Amino acid sequence: MSIEIRHLQKRYGATIVCDDLSLDIRSGELVALLGPSGSGKTTLLRLIAGLEAPDAGSVAFHGEDDAGADPRAQRVGFVFQHYALFAHMTIFENVAFGLRVRPRATRPDEATIRRRVHELLALVQLDWLADRYPHQLSGGQRQRIALARALAVEPGVLLLDEPFGALDAKVRKELRRWLRRLHDEMHVTTVFVTHDQEEAMEVADRVVIMNRGRIEQAGSPDEVYDHPKTPFVLQFLGDVNLFHGRFGHAPGGAIEAGADGAHEEVSYVRPHELQILAAPAADTLPVTLSQVLTVGTQARIEFRRIDDGSYVDVEMPRSEFAALTARSGLGIGSRAWLKARRVTRFSASAAETAVDPAAMI
Amino acid sequence: MTAPSPPLASRTQEPAWVRRTLIGAALAFLGAFLLLPLAVVFAEALKKGLDVYLAAIAEPDALAALRLTLLAAGIAVPLNVAIGLAAAWSLAKFRFRGQNVLLTLIDLPFSVSPVIAGLIYVLLFGLQGWFGPWLKAHDLQVVFAVPGIVLATVFVTFPFVARELIPTMQAQGTEQEEAARVLGASGWQILRRVTLPNVRWALLYGVILCNARAMGEFGAVSVVSGHVRGVTNTLPLHIEILYNEYQSAAAFAVASLLALLALVTLAAKALVERRLERAPPVTDAAPERASSAGAAVAFDRTALAS
Repeated sequence: MSIEIRHLQKRYGATIVCDDLSLDIRSGELVALLGPSGSGKTTLLRLIAGLEAPDAGSVAFHGEDDAGADPRAQRVGFVFQHYALFAHMTIFENVAFGLRVRPRATRPDEATIRRRVHELLALVQLDWLADRYPHQLSGGQRQRIALARALAVEPGVLLLDEPFGALDAKVRKELRRWLRRLHDEMHVTTVFVTHDQEEAMEVADRVVIMNRGRIEQAGSPDEVYDHPKTPFVLQFLGDVNLFHGRFGHAPGGAIEAGADGAHEEVSYVRPHELQILAAPAADTLPVTLSQVLTVGTQARIEFRRIDDGSYVDVEMPRSEFAALTARSGLGIGSRAWLKARRVTRFSASAAETAVDPAAMI
Repeated sequence: MTAPSPPLASRTQEPAWVRRTLIGAALAFLGAFLLLPLAVVFAEALKKGLDVYLAAIAEPDALAALRLTLLAAGIAVPLNVAIGLAAAWSLAKFRFRGQNVLLTLIDLPFSVSPVIAGLIYVLLFGLQGWFGPWLKAHDLQVVFAVPGIVLATVFVTFPFVARELIPTMQAQGTEQEEAARVLGASGWQILRRVTLPNVRWALLYGVILCNARAMGEFGAVSVVSGHVRGVTNTLPLHIEILYNEYQSAAAFAVASLLALLALVTLAAKALVERRLERAPPVTDAAPERASSAGAAVAFDRTALAS
């Protein structure tokens, strides 16, 4: 089932949470709504689910069987951030709920319900928990039960709100892959909300990046990462170094820093796109090494610019950095030159709207 | 501490004598103010022998008072459950203007003296009251009759169920209801299958408190009752009359009856608690509307059904 979102508006008091949102989600697609908290992504998901009523605009579902009377009653599965399992029901009854509340005419008989629930529990690999209560389950298990419960009504659209948000890192990683595989098997149109860019990039076919109630960019993970349309997208999808003026010159440096400032450019270079040179060359930035951190296999090297004293981060594999220090004798306080392999530029006026992503996560 | 110590000791660093003194003081207080009076009630009631005791209880006026008390509680408790549920639901699950006003209004019967509550009804429905002439014209009597007693009881017990439910419902939020809605449940199904089972404990406690107050209420009922023997006397009023007539054995005998009703309530509560703990509840069943057959019995059934 495909989803057609047109000019959706929603405000709470004076705050606009969804500002004229339009988006098409194709049938069978796995889409991530990515953004910092307060960007309106959860509200958009709730609007799609019909849990909130929009102030203006529409959400339409188009499916193979378009004749159904109330599309939202049976065709949307929703997985809540904190699972929202029915605390007083067994796992079995939780999953069976969507079938049991059907009108008598369409309600399956007890044997069918039993079979269907066990199928779903087997699908989420938790068949052995059928008689337990939600409070007896771990977070990851609850999440999978919540998913099974949502799938029980055979939804055309599956919506997940921060599905892995409350889980620890390791479980989160496993569940992510599992969700991806599950989606590949079932081909249900799936939309999930996350503030974790890695999660969005790893799981989704398409990433929709939201900020302040608007869609900044929508595209495949590679597309948004390699060709960000706005400084916000660039900054949100990972660390980035920011240079005013053309790279290699001081801020307000000789080139193009016109008196009106409007023509000034801001250059963005990701830490792993910087190369460390031992000698000056064309288009390089003179720096001194100030700190080295190692995180797993990566080395994060912090340099201080000689011209204005600001810091620049460089990231490279640890082994590569070790080889470099062995070769050039680079140490704390050593002079080095940075060369960018790749620079992204936005005009300064656009950059003004960019927000420091670190402050927003 | 090297030796394994009981959990009580390991929790605090207080010396043993402090703990014993505190626990002892609490128990002594409990004994002096709760158990002793209860024992006295039964002792006094049986002082002149079982015959006098049974005669006092079997007396028609006493039985009428018992019937009226059970009737008032039997009407007030289910009404309270229905209205309390509606009020708590709207306060906890929605945001609207005037929420705080409603919350204050629910508390009103707590802050108003029961005597004033009774007077209000006299002023409203009495012969000289606002609706007095109209009621007289239609040959209806509220004050100094059973309807007045029921009204006063309902007013005085009004906050109990709502007050118990509101914090519980607020703490639970609306996520489970939303989940049920997305799964296709209707409003009625959500209430019956999700909301009510989730608040069954709070509801049960509200019902117990409400029932105890309904049966024991004196002030408000006293004002609207008119003390017509065998007609508008509830158990507490009947006890007062007997006591004022120096029939202390009979007064205590009827008082023991009231105490017995309270004990039945307590026992029912304990029983329900144990049963619910042992066997997890059936998901489908929700509390049914309590019948007016008898307050203690009605509350019991409500709780068991959940």
